[in-house]
Amino acid sequence: MARKMLIDGELEKTNDAESHYDFDLFVIGAGSGGVRASRFSAQNGAKVAICELPFHPISSEVIGGVGGTHEEPGLDWCVIRGCVPKKILVYGASFGPELEDARNYGWDVNAKIDFNWKKLLQKKTDEINRLNGIYKRLLSGAGVKLFEGEGRVIGPNEVEVIQLDGTKISYSAKHILIATGSRAQRLPIPGQELGITSDEALSLEELPKHAVILGGGYIAVEFASIWRGMGTKVDLFYRKDLPLRGFDDEMREVVAKNLEGRGIKLHPGANLKELSKTEGGVKVLSDHGEEIVADVVLFATGRAPNSKRLNMEAVGVELDKAGAIKVNQYSQTNVPSIWAIGDVTNRMNLTPVALMEGTCFAVRYPEILALTSMFVSVVMSDYNTVFGGKPMAPDYSNIACAVFCIPPLSVVGLSEQEAVEKAKGDVLIFTSTFNPMKNTISGRQEKTMMKLVVDAETDKVLGASMCGPDAAEIMQGIAIALKCGATKAQFDSTVGIHPSAAEEFVTMRSVTRRVSAGTAKPRTNL
Amino acid sequence: MAATRVMASAGNAVSAPQSLDLCFRNGRLLTQNKRLFFVHDFGKKLMLSVVHSFPCAHRSRRFTTAVRAESTNGSEPSAHYDFDLFTIGAGSGGVRASRFAANFGAKVAVCELPFATISSDSAGGVGGTCVLRGCVPKKLLVYASKFSHEFEESGGFGWSYEAEPKHDWSTLIANKNAELQRLVGIYKNILKNSGVMLLEGRGKIVDPHTVDVNGKLYSAKNILIAVGGRPFIPDIPGSEYAIDSDAALDLPSKPKKIAIVGGGYIAVEFAGIFNGLKSDVHVFIRQKKLLRGFDEEVRDFLGEQMSLRGIDIHSEETPQAIVKSSDGLLSVKTNKGTVDGFTHVMFATGRKPNTKNLGLEAAGVNLSKNGAIEVDEFSRTSVPSIWAVGDVTDRINLTPVALMEGGALAKTLFANEPTKPDHSAVPCAVFSQPPIGQVGLTEDQAVKEYGDIDIYTSNFRPLKATLSGLPDRVFMKLIVCAKTNKVIGLHMCGEESAEIVQGFAVAVKAGLTKADFDATIGIHPTAAEEFVTMRTPTRKIRSAPSEILMPKLLLVFDSSLCNEKLLHQRIYMYGQSTPGQLSDLSRCPSPDSYAYAVDEREVAKAAVKNVFLLFTFLHRCDFSLLCKQVKFDFGAKLDKVFELILKLYSVGLCNVSS
Repeated sequence: MARKMLIDGELEKTNDAESHYDFDLFVIGAGSGGVRASRFSAQNGAKVAICELPFHPISSEVIGGVGGTHEEPGLDWCVIRGCVPKKILVYGASFGPELEDARNYGWDVNAKIDFNWKKLLQKKTDEINRLNGIYKRLLSGAGVKLFEGEGRVIGPNEVEVIQLDGTKISYSAKHILIATGSRAQRLPIPGQELGITSDEALSLEELPKHAVILGGGYIAVEFASIWRGMGTKVDLFYRKDLPLRGFDDEMREVVAKNLEGRGIKLHPGANLKELSKTEGGVKVLSDHGEEIVADVVLFATGRAPNSKRLNMEAVGVELDKAGAIKVNQYSQTNVPSIWAIGDVTNRMNLTPVALMEGTCFAVRYPEILALTSMFVSVVMSDYNTVFGGKPMAPDYSNIACAVFCIPPLSVVGLSEQEAVEKAKGDVLIFTSTFNPMKNTISGRQEKTMMKLVVDAETDKVLGASMCGPDAAEIMQGIAIALKCGATKAQFDSTVGIHPSAAEEFVTMRSVTRRVSAGTAKPRTNL
Repeated sequence: MAATRVMASAGNAVSAPQSLDLCFRNGRLLTQNKRLFFVHDFGKKLMLSVVHSFPCAHRSRRFTTAVRAESTNGSEPSAHYDFDLFTIGAGSGGVRASRFAANFGAKVAVCELPFATISSDSAGGVGGTCVLRGCVPKKLLVYASKFSHEFEESGGFGWSYEAEPKHDWSTLIANKNAELQRLVGIYKNILKNSGVMLLEGRGKIVDPHTVDVNGKLYSAKNILIAVGGRPFIPDIPGSEYAIDSDAALDLPSKPKKIAIVGGGYIAVEFAGIFNGLKSDVHVFIRQKKLLRGFDEEVRDFLGEQMSLRGIDIHSEETPQAIVKSSDGLLSVKTNKGTVDGFTHVMFATGRKPNTKNLGLEAAGVNLSKNGAIEVDEFSRTSVPSIWAVGDVTDRINLTPVALMEGGALAKTLFANEPTKPDHSAVPCAVFSQPPIGQVGLTEDQAVKEYGDIDIYTSNFRPLKATLSGLPDRVFMKLIVCAKTNKVIGLHMCGEESAEIVQGFAVAVKAGLTKADFDATIGIHPTAAEEFVTMRTPTRKIRSAPSEILMPKLLLVFDSSLCNEKLLHQRIYMYGQSTPGQLSDLSRCPSPDSYAYAVDEREVAKAAVKNVFLLFTFLHRCDFSLLCKQVKFDFGAKLDKVFELILKLYSVGLCNVSS
């Protein structure tokens, strides 16, 4: 019997022992991870509820939205306040430089050209409302009960939902999943209230004429590119020598050069000291003594996990210093019935990662429910022994990601610095810096750069990165190859698609440099 | 007898043993990162053994020696010849082969006709079709023409234009030609810097070791023909009014209304270019759909998208004559009627190898019916000292393939490294608007070759189109072998297809599976992430739905290797669908996918043990047909196989301990 179940991949439906709970699973937060986990769990036969704040593009403790980090009752940060609206603005901003490029291709673009920020904003909001609706339908279609209100944990098996009118209802659940995401942070300096965060930046009433951005992370460089593309004067301040700490140093240099080339004023090694209100807007004072009057000051100084109002400490769930919920590799907190996924756990804060964590949770769900059954647990242990396997844990290796500055940066695997640090033997670096074909006629002075980091001994490609047009699209396929341990020889044996930028990844024939492990630390500490 | 066949095919198979992927009733056996795994359908993965290396096939070794024997002096200056290599044609393939040969120490000359944007018997130019009359100028015009679509899109993103941007053709062509001149200069410099002598003039073969350029004779140990192909216009009344793609890339003025005859990639690319630059474009195709040879669904999709962008596609309509009317405009008479008012008629009706008047026949070089030079896997013609690469051989007519062939030839001749260009899983793109990218098989090819396949498709409106309000869509398709889970075909039509498919081509070339795709996290938000998030097959195609495929395990022990040492054995595993004869092996559609060998002594023990494990997993399988045997006697019963395995197992233990 056990054998049969093993082979067919089906476990017995849970017995009625759990019927004294209102739900098998209660999810707090309907962002990417929460929606994915609740939908898949429901499909696996669990009785699932999910709660989310009303949708509004700007998040606060009491406003969230199905789609996450956004305005109205919304589901998801990604959809509402993150990836999607951001990408829409990036598209909108890309047309500015495109018009410049068109000139040498014979297009007459000298007549008056207008950009209407309000129109773009309206279209963006429409699109996000549409997506929010889709998310809601997905949930109801999967049989997930959606509650609107703020959720908090009041016991290992009990959740309280504070509804819009202030009334509180509590529900019992066999398992609780926290997927409340994160929220943008401001810098604690005098006048900080005069600045905005990325939430507001996605919904500004007017396009700023002059913006000051503080931060060197991906949000900072993305907004710098967006506003610059729309014609705003942009000053970008960051503390390090280069933006995008954590990425490959050489690629960071390329990004900085491109931002500057596209007209963004960079202030490396600088911080903001004080904001004050003046007639012309907000006066910004930097620690280098510079004074700038801008109409918008954006704090892109990181995001903090949304764990404050969840009542986590009271039920004994451990948080780390940053306020992130501590979980094991299966996304379980120290309270066995409480789980957490996505940005609130501050592992790798990307939408597809939250989706993966959600999926892993849900796939395991039958197992989680089954653990109480003696019979099934025998099967499971048998299963583990036979296959030497483990319950499905999210795999954080070789996850590709993209920064949608203009032009974008996309990476997968290790940076050169990480590779040299981790490698036992030598690391081979292949780079290619070239003028994209489009620029040969447009005259744009901007190079595309690509890089492969290869383990000299095994020939395995450890990392790939690219900064240039379409980098994010190009990197996806490369990511599969890296995920599966492809070698440089396998890259080389692939024929190029001509003429494309991407073909450069399979035609890097000569090593740019060989770096010995432990020796010759390449430039760091930037 | 059967055994001989088995070994022969297996010998071939293991010459490039990248991976094994075998489907069993409840899971798959596969290799990954030089490890052998059994992956249960339930999701669990069991590592069976580490494969330290793959055995080298005798056959490829033999080839190696054979080729080497003739080229041992290749890299040394050969006293009685002017050159080690004389290349006719300085296009992509010729330049690549010449440069690499020179880098390997050979004395090389290359001849090419004088530069002109339109090719003829007396004009060509360093850089060849790709740089002067193909990929590069075409792509530049594609860039130019795409802007009009972007202007349209930008309206949805808040941009507005007081006056609709106008296009000036002469600016574009002047800038394009300046860029081409720059590239020709670069190509010439590359040749010069690598020490290749460049001769301007028409090269003609006098004998297997002599080339004539403008009346001067040069002797060469090896001659390489890389003269490419040229557009071909069929002979119909009025064809003298028609232009080909060479001319279309360098017109003095922009066509107002153009007829493009043909449904191949050149036709659809030019249709996109002229449509983007606001010409009135009519495409005449003999067939129902564009792009014969491409995946049917992609063909349908592209046709729709092109029509939506305003291109008039006349299907099953063949021009029979072109008539010039008194107003100077051209009329196209077809089997269905007459279409009037064209300023230009362009024929994109195929390309032909440039093999005329090269002295090939006299030298004894065999040509195929369409005039292409016949070559073997090493690009050698029927004359041992004459070689050919690129479009003139009409294998896969793409620049990167010519580069690969040229590079491989230089290695074969001058680096003591006989190299066959590998024409499998070559990705390609069509720069139509929207463009197409593809790698691997089409659905029809896949069904023919593999029978049982799973198809995953996605047809969606990209984020950009939801805002722009334009009817642009994206189509993606994955074709997966049902038995092995390998992705054997990948197709896309939509913005940036060419760029997107390149990385996936690495994955397909490496033989990765759908599971590998699924295990990859998406890059969000991109179009490309759709390829790693296709969860449910759109349809499953099964050749024989009634018959349950029951893989069997087959063990073959190679006695010839056993002679050397105690435990040098090979284990071949093979999945077959019908119970019965081992001769079925010869019907194996692709031995590479199924045959796999382990011959390392140190893993022998583990391998045999793994066979036991497999028995446990596959307990429901019918093993009565399971075969083995040291002397290629395949009649043994199941228990005898066990006995043999046990014996080997114990020997293996002894061997390892001693």
